[in-house]
Amino acid sequence: MKIALFIPCLVNQMVPEVGIATLELLEKLGHQVILPQGQTCCGQPMTNSGCYNEAKKTTMKLLNAFKGVECDAIVCPAASCLVAAKENFHEFDTSPEAQAVIDKLYELTEFLHDVSPIPAFTKPFPHKISLQMSCHGIRMLDLATPSEQMGPRMNKFEAVLAAIPEIEIVYPDRRDECCGFGGTFALDEGAVSAKMGKDKAQAHAETGAAYAVGFDPSCLLHIDGMVRRQKLPIETRHIAQIINAAL
Amino acid sequence: MSSKLEILNALKSAAIAPQAMPVIDIAPRIDDLVGQFETSLNTVAGTLHREGGLAKLQAQVDEHIAQGMQIISMVDGITGNREVTNTAHQLRDIDYAVIPGDLGVAENGAIWVNNKNLGHRVTPFICENLFLVLEAKTIVANMHQAASRITLDSGEFGTFIAGPSKTADIEQALVVGAHGACSLNVYLV
Amino acid sequence: MSTSTSAVHAHKAEIFCKDESRVDWHSKALWMLREKRDRAAGSLPEWEQLRQIGSEMKLHTLTHLSQYLEEFDKNCLNNNIQVHWAKDGAEHNRIVHSILAKHEVKKLVKSKSMLTEECHMNPYLEERGIEVIDTDLGERIIQLAGQPPSHIVVPAIHLKKEEVGDLFHDKLGTDAGASDPLYLTRAARAHLREQFLSADAAMTGVNMAIADKGAVVVCTNEGNADMGANLPKLQLHSMGIDKIVPNIDSAAVLLRTLARNATGQPITTYSSFYRGPQDGGEMHVIIVDNGRTDMLKDKILAESLKCIRCGGCLNTCPVYRRSGGYSYNYTIPGPIGIAVGAKNDDTNSIPWACTLCGSCSYVCPTKVPLDKIIHHHRRLKAEAGKLPYGKASYMPLVGKFMASETALNCSMSVARTALKILPGSLLKPFSGAWGKYRELPVAPNSSFEAWFKKNRG
Repeated sequence: MKIALFIPCLVNQMVPEVGIATLELLEKLGHQVILPQGQTCCGQPMTNSGCYNEAKKTTMKLLNAFKGVECDAIVCPAASCLVAAKENFHEFDTSPEAQAVIDKLYELTEFLHDVSPIPAFTKPFPHKISLQMSCHGIRMLDLATPSEQMGPRMNKFEAVLAAIPEIEIVYPDRRDECCGFGGTFALDEGAVSAKMGKDKAQAHAETGAAYAVGFDPSCLLHIDGMVRRQKLPIETRHIAQIINAAL
Repeated sequence: MSSKLEILNALKSAAIAPQAMPVIDIAPRIDDLVGQFETSLNTVAGTLHREGGLAKLQAQVDEHIAQGMQIISMVDGITGNREVTNTAHQLRDIDYAVIPGDLGVAENGAIWVNNKNLGHRVTPFICENLFLVLEAKTIVANMHQAASRITLDSGEFGTFIAGPSKTADIEQALVVGAHGACSLNVYLV
Repeated sequence: MSTSTSAVHAHKAEIFCKDESRVDWHSKALWMLREKRDRAAGSLPEWEQLRQIGSEMKLHTLTHLSQYLEEFDKNCLNNNIQVHWAKDGAEHNRIVHSILAKHEVKKLVKSKSMLTEECHMNPYLEERGIEVIDTDLGERIIQLAGQPPSHIVVPAIHLKKEEVGDLFHDKLGTDAGASDPLYLTRAARAHLREQFLSADAAMTGVNMAIADKGAVVVCTNEGNADMGANLPKLQLHSMGIDKIVPNIDSAAVLLRTLARNATGQPITTYSSFYRGPQDGGEMHVIIVDNGRTDMLKDKILAESLKCIRCGGCLNTCPVYRRSGGYSYNYTIPGPIGIAVGAKNDDTNSIPWACTLCGSCSYVCPTKVPLDKIIHHHRRLKAEAGKLPYGKASYMPLVGKFMASETALNCSMSVARTALKILPGSLLKPFSGAWGKYRELPVAPNSSFEAWFKKNRG
């Protein structure tokens, strides 16, 4: 498949290794990967605060970067940004061209589970990992059944990773409680955000896992900051990095 | 304009288009209703006496009377030592009340009680302890079935009672016996 | 603990967070309720179906509200129940007082009603010489302590048993130092029995009002509503217009989810249906709007009125559990408190006391889309130019900055360099709220875009 990467500003600037791992793993799976130029922020920091006027310009620029790009799918290694992009594109542009872009948008885990499953992993990953079930991926992208919901369970995140040889998957206590990042919440509500992050970092560390693995780089950045402040014996990794290491 | 009219008028500018009433079509769990009822009743801190019926209850009542307890019975065939009082307030020293239940609910251990059988409405609440007499055949699976079978005529009071009164308002510690009855024993007949 | 003065949520939350062991205790107590709820909900194969039916039934009722309210009104009359209508809290209080005054009521026993809290009824009646006794144990505790509720179902959840013990020693004469919940509850039982027996009137809230019967349903675990309403000859019930359900079948759906979602019980101990006063008694129902018809004018806010006040959203909310019930500048805290209280929050900060994690919406037994409503409040505040935390001045700058990939790249590369070369002690003061609580990110050497150009370009 021909895949266009949607690399959110946070990944581009703060965790390029997540972008690199995403690119490499998709190439290893035989996809042709391109990076459309002119990508900006999806507008989430503004729209999450209700500031739609302030978000419009950057959202439209990002949308325009993908309009008319020839590809089969647009893949993003950040669930929260992907959700915001979908919602904001729709909010500001109801044209068929915009809808065509929205229809091709996939979060990486979702893409690897629903669209182009990994045929086989070539290398083992002999470590215990604790899954970071970030909210927007779980509750807005249906990556897994939220703990609040009853009935049949589904978990795309675990399903994708569980196929890696020798990997051990565990969950922190209160498995899908929010980590407290919440975008500008981390700055507006510093004390509560930090307490939530501290609790989440400790819950991951208490599993004895070597890595806390997630699909949302912003949550991981926040948890990483708490892990290092608390000097906890665990590190954060993005799902792309784990998969890339096993291919 | 009266407040009633103002409120009803304001409702004319409601934003959501009319929605249809959903069909309430939920499959009941009908296996072992008495067993389900007993499990549920235990969950809500009540006790079920499956065997022995009224004779066992009367023996229990007699034992309490012998110990000097004050017992009022609203159930035919069970004799206490107190009559229905003139005022509700005079029930304040009742140790045990015996009342009939109209219907039991297997999913939650609740028993429907109608004020026709209570003397004063406050009887099941003001007594220190409560005995409920329930016909096994009246037990239904769930609240949907109960809703279609309970009677509540104009002017009446009815209540689903599920166990003795309880609270967990102090540090989430469950304490049985808040303002209503401190214990509930259900006798199946 | 600050309870009455308005301050931005973050400020009140920061104070609450200073005692970390207390935050942990508070969070754990509420999470236990969430776990009990999960077990109770999980025991019913039809749980999600019940949520869906509950949601549709409430929406149906809300979109036919005038019809059902009139039906209820008419049927109450047939049952010898007197119905009163109040536009707002002030009118509600006047109506209640006039009924009580007519009967020369000196003592009113009251069971839990968030509506009377919303209307600030207790102080209104007390100023007019009527003693109001809250009879729910949790409510009585906070009434004796002179505090408002910190939770809508477990109002004294913020107090430790030792604190309740001290309070009861002071007010009820229990043994000094005694803090056993059983002992304290028994003492309250004895104290409140006397109140029930000497009351001139009783008041309760309403969990559901059944239109086609003209009856109100009141749910308690303690039996305080029924001890009250069935002793004195005068009973009053206050309800918001949103409490109407079409019939008993509808009420049954909510009775199945209400207690399970609140505390994990299969049903409350008492679910009482009043379809008329006791012999020789008088029964009044006061129907209150107080802003509800306004909410119905907004498609998104309207769904807040599907709420049945189970408190499940508070128990699951990671922010509520770590900031306490007094940080929301409103009688009702947590997600539902934001949904129904944000409009009147003069600090404009309450809609931001949320990470938009969405847990509340999934917990809700009537599918109130709480995260969507809270997000909508942010938008309404922004449109009204009422942004908190300096957002009004920085958001336009961020928007402009984010829209320029060149600026984004240049400034961020400066930032990355700064992260690398400056020592942490120098950087932290500059990085504000982030660095105060967390380590700063480890700076990468280049952006992904630069890497891509170099390696795939």
